[in-house]
Amino acid sequence: MRRLKVLIGAFLGTMVSISLLGCQDRTSDESRISMVKPVNPEPIHINEKSRKEHDLAATVKKDIQSMPQIYDVAVIKGEKETLVVYKVKHLHRMMMKQIEADINKKLEKNYPKESFIVSSDFKIFIEAIELKDKMKDPGYPQDKAEKQLQKIIELKKEMT
Amino acid sequence: MGKKKELSPVQERYQELQKKHELKKPILKNCLRAFLVGGLICTVGQAITYFYIYYFNFTEQTAGNPTVATLIFISMLLTGFGVYDHIGQYGGAGSAVPVTGFGNSVISAAIEHRTEGFVLGVGGNMFKLAGTVLLFGVFSAFVVALVRTLLSIWGVL
Repeated sequence: MRRLKVLIGAFLGTMVSISLLGCQDRTSDESRISMVKPVNPEPIHINEKSRKEHDLAATVKKDIQSMPQIYDVAVIKGEKETLVVYKVKHLHRMMMKQIEADINKKLEKNYPKESFIVSSDFKIFIEAIELKDKMKDPGYPQDKAEKQLQKIIELKKEMT
Repeated sequence: MGKKKELSPVQERYQELQKKHELKKPILKNCLRAFLVGGLICTVGQAITYFYIYYFNFTEQTAGNPTVATLIFISMLLTGFGVYDHIGQYGGAGSAVPVTGFGNSVISAAIEHRTEGFVLGVGGNMFKLAGTVLLFGVFSAFVVALVRTLLSIWGVL
């Protein structure tokens, strides 16, 4: 019995240390909440001074949010690429590939000059919200934000 | 399977008697239990996936591998502690079909053959049950990969 307790204790200890090791400093609770309910994040653009970019990000968000299968959209306009992350309603999750193809088609048709990265991944959504929160700080440098955006885009390419 | 042997009148009478006293399997109850236990295991798996997505650098695509490894590890520990046997007895297929059943089959075989020695006992029999899963898993993955490759070469995919 004592051995069993020691073993359970060791297991729980390992699990707690793994969780502590994995914990990263999160900027807000919004990213955690975003896993369970819609947060409707504002569209953001890396180049803060450009009004045109702001308008573009806002219209892209409005366009995607108008689709009935989607309930939450985050848009980040970078220097070259625009990241569009969305969450699909549970009953439509069987049609994920079709929805992604529809979004790509819609974006290509409406904004032929822009380059888009489209994803429905939760991790990318969380990271987009993290970046949005970091950018609320006026001292957060633009090049760092762009670098972070590129890191998020890299996540989309990971397959295994 | 050969042709069914003709039974003598005594054997027939015996079979009738046996049928009369045989306990009926509570199929609906078993299905419900399997559904609940299997669903609970999958819920735990989903929670672990979210844990890896939120706290580590895993995406929805990549979080599957560590989740499976963690579930197998937990089920192996629970088998060692003797807890998984009770879960298996209650949940039936609900505890065997998810990936946790794999961990259980490895460790239960290892425990069973412990007395026969470490190399020939544990080592030789550990994959007695799980070996089938590995063999057919690898084989079916190979067949699926082959079909997919052929389809992409032909331009269907």
